Amino acid sequence: MLGPAALGLALVAGLPLVYTLALALSQSTLGRPLAAWVGLAQFRHLLGDGVFLETLLRTGLYAVPSSLVQLALGLGLALLLQGVRQGRWLRSLILLPLMTPPVLVGVAWKLLLAPAGGLFNGWLLHLGVLDAPLSVLGSDTWALPAVMLADTWQWLPFVVILCLAALQTLPSDVHEAARLEGASELNVFVHISLPQLAPSLLGIFLLREVMALKTFDVVYILTAGGPGRSTTLASYEIWKTGLHNFDIGLAAAQTLLFSLFVGLVTWPVLKALQWVERRTG
Amino acid sequence: MNVATLTRQNPTVTPAVTPAVPHPADAPPLSKRVRASPRWLLQRLALGLTLLFLVLPVAFLLATSFKSRDEVLSGYFFPLAPTWLNWRTLLSVAPLHLNLLNSLLVALLALFITLAIAVPAVYAVVKLRHGQRLAGWLLSSYLSPPVVALLPLFFVWRQAGLTNSTFGLALVDGLSNVPVAFWLLRGFFKQVPLALDEAAWLEGVGPWKTLWRVNLPLIWPGLTATAIICLILSYNEFLFASVLNSRPDLRTITVAISLFEGERVVNFGQMAAASLLGIAPVYALALWFQKHLIGGLGAAATLEHTRRQP
Repeated sequence: MLGPAALGLALVAGLPLVYTLALALSQSTLGRPLAAWVGLAQFRHLLGDGVFLETLLRTGLYAVPSSLVQLALGLGLALLLQGVRQGRWLRSLILLPLMTPPVLVGVAWKLLLAPAGGLFNGWLLHLGVLDAPLSVLGSDTWALPAVMLADTWQWLPFVVILCLAALQTLPSDVHEAARLEGASELNVFVHISLPQLAPSLLGIFLLREVMALKTFDVVYILTAGGPGRSTTLASYEIWKTGLHNFDIGLAAAQTLLFSLFVGLVTWPVLKALQWVERRTG
Repeated sequence: MNVATLTRQNPTVTPAVTPAVPHPADAPPLSKRVRASPRWLLQRLALGLTLLFLVLPVAFLLATSFKSRDEVLSGYFFPLAPTWLNWRTLLSVAPLHLNLLNSLLVALLALFITLAIAVPAVYAVVKLRHGQRLAGWLLSSYLSPPVVALLPLFFVWRQAGLTNSTFGLALVDGLSNVPVAFWLLRGFFKQVPLALDEAAWLEGVGPWKTLWRVNLPLIWPGLTATAIICLILSYNEFLFASVLNSRPDLRTITVAISLFEGERVVNFGQMAAASLLGIAPVYALALWFQKHLIGGLGAAATLEHTRRQP
């Protein structure tokens, strides 16, 4: 019963790993992969000029804060939604961003943020906040936050649903006891709920972090990595190196460094999760 | 006692798919006590703003799709002179109905591949207690970004004649959704008491038949949720679809719409209409099965932790 799963895993995970390693150590073109052996030259190149390392750093600085913000907002919203009676239609609405194809999330936000005709500029100009249209996606400062915004629009509902489910598993007797003893609601939340929620929250954070590290579609549509390199996240850079500049070997080397980086960034969260789970038994 | 604990002890599995939000009956009557207090107002305001935030982008797409070429640049929300032009000319710009069909075909085929692999694997891991290590590998493979597999798969698939093929793309999507399906299904299978399986085995019923006759009927709602999520994941996929199936007649809808970008003059109104066409199938699916979906996502998220609680 496990045969097909093992075969599938070998095909989409094992084989690519070996193949990528071979590609990274050799010179390839789209037409002729593995044409000549070059050893570690491509890694030396990548580590030497620092551009890709900067991209990795940028990817981390994108993924971690946006996951944290989404977790905080999501937990807050879940707490709010908990007390709402007519939550049914709210719950259906909240699902929709989550289901939207990321490419189309990009299109929607591109229209909203467009300097000419976008709602964002339209409203801010109308209110007098802006004197001239601001090209959000063309600004070094605002382009990456704009990508985060679109990403948050899509994934906040996911975090809310998971937080709601986590909140539901809290045993209510301890809370009632604490409340009867006169503990304030804030105190109950911080000292009783939060520690009990910690494993779930860390799990949700890990999931979001992993997904944020993969971000490609929204960047591709919204900014194409620009302006300059300000929104060039690792997935986009690898795609560009491999399938735009056709430097297959370099892209493979970037891929390996990126995998290493993903492991490095997720490892502490995994360890923390294991630690919290052990502690709460 | 909370709902999750009840679920565990109850041999029927239906409570797992009740909506993740507590029913009014089990929620504390907080809103009643504090209605119209500043806190209640603040709560409503926060919810209202969130709702606006969640609805605005798609609502603006809808409004934009009825704007003429000039009006698109106005920056107002509502079209002053609504026009059907963008919708009427939609299919003359690109064969979007064919792209839509490609997307649906790929998603369905991929779903079949995913379930055919994931369901037996989950059964073996959860019930027969085989292959724990494989489960670990499967889940950790999900950590790695898809772009990592892009180049190698492209070369191998081309060699095997699987590029520019509906089946080839479905194979990639189907295989890469296996970890997700595995993770979701594991929770549902765990809710079926092992005693039921053991009883069947004692009667001499093989594992395959036990899976089919005993487990699947009980986890039907969970299986539906998993299937919907896999369908949507494949339908939404862009990276592999754009690289593997670049031939115009095989393009999926996400790829087709992304190419609107490439043209010199982007007609926002038309792009909005095309995007809504692309969004419509997933929204229909999500709304139709919303109860399953929320329950399924919630159950998968919490089962691991509730299981450990005393």
